[in-house]
Amino acid sequence: MHLSQDTILSIQDLTMSYGGKNVLNGINLEVSKGQIIGYIGPNGAGKSTTVKIMLGLIDDFEGKVVIFGQDISKGDASYKRRIGYVPENAEAYDNLSAMEYLIFTGELYGLSQKFAQEKAERLLQQFDLIDVRHSRLSSFSKGMKQKVLIISSLLHDPDLLFWDEPLSGLDANSMMVIQEILSQLAAEGKTIFYSSHIMDLVEKISNRIVLLVDGKVVADGSFEELQELSAEGSLSGIFNQLTGFTEHRKKAAQFVSVVRGDMDDA
Amino acid sequence: MREFQSLKFIALFKGLFKKFGVDYEIMMLILRIKLTMDERRVPTVFNEMGKKKEGNQFLKSLWIYGLYSLLLLPFLFLGDNYIFGMSVQFGIILFILMTSMISDFSSVLLDVRDKNVLQTKPVDKKTITAAKTIHILIYMSFIAGAFVALPFIVGIFRHGIVFSLIFLVEIVLTMLLVVVFTSLLYLFVLRYFDGERLKDIINYVQIVLSLGLVIGYQVLIQAFDIANFNIEYVFSPWHFLIPPIWYGAPFEMILNGNTAWYMIAFTGLAVLMPILAILIYSRLMPSFERNLEKLLSDTKARKPSRSLLDGLWAKLLCRTKEERVFFRFSALMLKKEREFKLKVFPNVGLALVFPILFIFNELRIRSLADISEGNMYLFIYFCNILIPGTIFMLQFAGSYKGGWIFKAAPIARETAAYSAALKVFLSKLYLPIFLVLSIVYVGIFSARILPDLAAVLAGAILQSLITYRVMKDVEFPFTRSFEFSQDQGTARNLSLTLIIGAFVLVHFLARSFDYGIYVYLVLLVVAIFVVWRKTFPENAEVEDGKPASKTEAGM
Repeated sequence: MHLSQDTILSIQDLTMSYGGKNVLNGINLEVSKGQIIGYIGPNGAGKSTTVKIMLGLIDDFEGKVVIFGQDISKGDASYKRRIGYVPENAEAYDNLSAMEYLIFTGELYGLSQKFAQEKAERLLQQFDLIDVRHSRLSSFSKGMKQKVLIISSLLHDPDLLFWDEPLSGLDANSMMVIQEILSQLAAEGKTIFYSSHIMDLVEKISNRIVLLVDGKVVADGSFEELQELSAEGSLSGIFNQLTGFTEHRKKAAQFVSVVRGDMDDA
Repeated sequence: MREFQSLKFIALFKGLFKKFGVDYEIMMLILRIKLTMDERRVPTVFNEMGKKKEGNQFLKSLWIYGLYSLLLLPFLFLGDNYIFGMSVQFGIILFILMTSMISDFSSVLLDVRDKNVLQTKPVDKKTITAAKTIHILIYMSFIAGAFVALPFIVGIFRHGIVFSLIFLVEIVLTMLLVVVFTSLLYLFVLRYFDGERLKDIINYVQIVLSLGLVIGYQVLIQAFDIANFNIEYVFSPWHFLIPPIWYGAPFEMILNGNTAWYMIAFTGLAVLMPILAILIYSRLMPSFERNLEKLLSDTKARKPSRSLLDGLWAKLLCRTKEERVFFRFSALMLKKEREFKLKVFPNVGLALVFPILFIFNELRIRSLADISEGNMYLFIYFCNILIPGTIFMLQFAGSYKGGWIFKAAPIARETAAYSAALKVFLSKLYLPIFLVLSIVYVGIFSARILPDLAAVLAGAILQSLITYRVMKDVEFPFTRSFEFSQDQGTARNLSLTLIIGAFVLVHFLARSFDYGIYVYLVLLVVAIFVVWRKTFPENAEVEDGKPASKTEAGM
């Protein structure tokens, strides 16, 4: 555990159940300033649930979640002022234009309209979206929309970022830009908490990796530390091993044989 | 983004919101965004390039409520018997507001998208709730405004200024009551169920509510002893359970000086209930928002259900394999597409209840034996009000984006999609209701009306075809977003509903000749055959089967 003076986020014994089924089974996590945390795990491991709890979208959890020294279960939403969030599945109000959406979310974070507008324009310029700023989000490609949502999460210059699959839909060049932005933001002292399924990337940009399986943290440390736990060299190898999945080749062979139309079990 | 007049009006209550602990600036911000979005329509999947319609389509459809309000006028001329006239009026107003609340604004109340966008920001839940409620109230007041404007003006001239003031205050109270009551009901449902099951239950609640409204209206009428136009009000304790009477009482009390204890009690309820409901609502709202999360999750695995009946109908009604595929698809959508059910099922309830209700009504004046002699069975035509609304809705789906599959798949005869959808509507939705009603009607009127019932059914099929031809906006069913469903729909629906009148008239005329009904029936069948062929032309290469008459299957 990285206990230090500047703890940004602390989760203690977090459990959460949905209709009798436990989604989170006692998660403990301390995050300090400037860390880039890759939050990984198989589908349904509880990654998004954790993030939703931290953002106050779900509040019938058990355990303690403290962000910026504030216990979030108290119902005071003010801690969210210093958080930037990119939701999974690029959810937004699609009927609005990029500019309208950005100004709206900026104002929700307490920025003035003029300030939000100027900053949004400058950021859109950087992502080459300035020409489409008055087009509706519904006409955007997934990558373009994702960029708008990333800008929206940064407009108010937050100290803590929650990015849920921030790279989905982006092309290789944009991914590199985002990756670089992440490390420079972290160098400035921002804390970044993101989830992704792209292991190569997590391996490259995180300085701490938390692996979640069945609502439990099964590995927590830098990439090098994780390598020591496992015989595998790459993060996806480690991921497979720690999640107990080793038969991808066999699965694929079976699948292809069904596609071909073989009736017997391959 | 422009300024909205409605928001300027809301601004008058700034102090009130602040007093309740609502972040006023943020609430206005959210409202402005919501109203802006309401003015826009996302283009459908296939019409990206098509013309976009600007302006709030909802506002453009308001005139229809003005037309409906003509219904209220006669009750203003019942003399000074306010308790009856006004109770009925407010019964109708409550009915209109409640049905539009359920079918049009439930989605606003149950919107989970808000959660991700708004609740992740530093905005407290109370403010979000306030914004949501005000958003709905703005539209409700437009509906209420359009609906009561005419009676209101007539009321001033007929009964004077005091009358109008009471009227105005009561309209506001009823609006609050409707919005808050619906919210509380959902709150209750959300509390005890979760996931997919919940969405189903909400559907059923909506159906039950609309049925309850109709029956409630009936009960209201029962509360008055109407004989020979001499309407008398006799109090009985169960009247406390009927909200419209609460709203009739203040008129009686203030204008007629009737200060019986129960009149005062009714008036008290009229004022206190909305306020009490709001207090409970604001208490419980946080748990409402929390439980909304349940709408996103599905915790139970479901068993696949395969309906043999669907397969049978598909074989019976469709001639090509392709059409059968579309038939099964449409049948599934009808069963599973919630937003669709939400819009359509309340009408299904009405279609089922109205024809029985009218007979029931008549029973208080005449005996059953007396009724069974006459032409009252023509009331079964009331179940055809189901046709325009449902066929209009067939083009929409919550999951309309999946519609690309129709363009991507190698479909030989594109019209098969809609002909199958129409067949599904007729066989799976209309026919069951019609059969139930037929059994009841045959029970009352004896088997002599069988040819008439056949004519009604054939008429319904023909009407469906006409409706489809008039409304044909898209190539494939279930491929448009419901955001469009407010477009010209209502106006056209009304004119298409009036067609029923024409059918009734012709039917009535046919009855006045010997064997006229059989001639009419044959004509209908021929018309169906011709129009169906014209509407859904066959390709040169018909895959299988002989050109059997479509109408046979429909009979």
